[in-house]
Amino acid sequence: MNPIRIVVADDEELARSLVREYLRESLDIQIVAECANGFQAVKAVTELKPDLLLLDIQMPRLDGFEVLDLVGRETNVIFITAYDQYAIRAFDVRAVDYLLKPFSAERLAEALDRARQKIARGESTAPAALVTEARAPGTKSDRVLIRDGSEVHVIPIAKIDYVEAQDDYVCYRAEGKRLLKQQTLADAEAVLDASRFVRIHRSYILNVDRLAKLELYAKDSHAAILRDGTRLPVSRSGYSRLNALIG
Amino acid sequence: MHPILENRQRLTFYLLAWLPIAALLTVILKRDPASWLESILVAAPLSLLYAFMCLSAWYVCLTAPMRGQSWARSIGTLGAGAALASGVWALLGEVWALSLDPWMVVPELGEHFLTQAATVFVIGMLLFLLAAAAHYLLIAVDEYREAEKRTLEMQVLAREAELRALRAQIDPHFLFNSLNSISALTVSDPRGARRMCLLLADFLRSSLVLGAQKEIPVSDELRLVESFLDIEKVRYGNRLSVVRNVDPNCHGCLVPPLLIQPLVENAIRHGIAPLVDGGTIRMDVQREGKTLEIVLENPVDSGGGPIAKDGAGLGLENVRSRLAKLFANEALVAVSQEDSKFQIRLRFPCIQFGETR
Repeated sequence: MNPIRIVVADDEELARSLVREYLRESLDIQIVAECANGFQAVKAVTELKPDLLLLDIQMPRLDGFEVLDLVGRETNVIFITAYDQYAIRAFDVRAVDYLLKPFSAERLAEALDRARQKIARGESTAPAALVTEARAPGTKSDRVLIRDGSEVHVIPIAKIDYVEAQDDYVCYRAEGKRLLKQQTLADAEAVLDASRFVRIHRSYILNVDRLAKLELYAKDSHAAILRDGTRLPVSRSGYSRLNALIG
Repeated sequence: MHPILENRQRLTFYLLAWLPIAALLTVILKRDPASWLESILVAAPLSLLYAFMCLSAWYVCLTAPMRGQSWARSIGTLGAGAALASGVWALLGEVWALSLDPWMVVPELGEHFLTQAATVFVIGMLLFLLAAAAHYLLIAVDEYREAEKRTLEMQVLAREAELRALRAQIDPHFLFNSLNSISALTVSDPRGARRMCLLLADFLRSSLVLGAQKEIPVSDELRLVESFLDIEKVRYGNRLSVVRNVDPNCHGCLVPPLLIQPLVENAIRHGIAPLVDGGTIRMDVQREGKTLEIVLENPVDSGGGPIAKDGAGLGLENVRSRLAKLFANEALVAVSQEDSKFQIRLRFPCIQFGETR
């Protein structure tokens, strides 16, 4: 039988050493990488494609949920944290288990049994949409995370000019760069701050701070001209939404 | 509730106290040729009746309280109550004597009672006033007990509030993470595990002891900060370093307990923890004449790490309100952030033990 390949991500060396020690007894388990922050975790998971991720939630750069948001589609995850208030979110993203620090070797073994069963059944974790939805209500993130291979781009939301739908992807335009993320435009809209971003068209979400002027370019149809000269189409319902926002 | 009727023990005592009164009344009402039995037959029921009538003195006591009213008015109320009760009693005594009259060996019991009516009335007045005095005493005792109970309850409540505040100040996740570190050390480094247990116990004990006081010297607070940092050093290892610059002249200045430690805790949680390579916390405690200045500086992730603002504002609010309570508008709390450096500056008067504010 193939060993179960595990990535351990925790910013505390002692916490990682505890997991290492607990897992020494389990012969069917192989730790393929240890990560001390969120970026390392994303890199390790995309490059090594482990069967299971033991993930701390409070970590530098990216927290556990953001890591899962970026890699989550094909990875089983066990959250390990001292905070119990994330349990519901962990359940929402269909984590295999949720361990509270400090935890016993038996408790970890139980979680691993669950993971083994899940891996044997060939199930994978949450669809991407679920991860996005799992963000705690009322807490809008102030940045968008985009994975490009094993690299992670962090875009502060204020830097985004507009967002464009492209087939299965969404293209973020920020600081002259174009970054693709696999999600729907509706997902992107849910994450962005509604007081600043408005859906002006079936395929476009605009940062109203970037709007220079609106042009009527056919009957009932407008175009938004951005400060950098970009023209974006504005649908009729998009026009009324835009008007409602900027008065 | 009535202070005598509600308490079986008090009621028994009260009724026993009426036995000598009944005896006295028996002697007063004795007719010369008649037997003692006759006199008892008249006096005993009358005494029992009046014993209960005198319980109504309580209502009089309530309408004429000892405090908050003029003496003249209270005495008037009491006198009127006593006269009324005693008058009714004497009247009922006459009715009772008359109704017993036909059965008596020596006739004209009713007439005899009438000759004694004045005496009975005066005794009735005195007894009623005596009963009123007893009621006043009991009311005072009950009030005192009630006040004692309230004071005790207040103390318990204040203590509870203190403990709640303390629990809120010590972050439970700090405890859980520390326990996890101990759990990790037990096998790889048993000595380290034991040291960590002792550090943790030390920190918890000092924060409980210091937290119960109103003000403590800066030196005590700094010791608490150091024992907290010792623990965090185990968890964060090389990622956490601290530069201290403490003027020994400050050691005697008084501060509210757990003022600096939570700020250091915030500096680690929101400054050091989100940084991949950690960083250095600077702690300056200086004194300029009569002013104490505490400055805490920590690096922050300018690249926009996960923003964890939970509790940071609250902790700062707590510091502000506590300093304001002690020093009114003489205390200054300033927060600033430039680039990747976050700074908190506290300035307030340095007052030492024994000095007046």
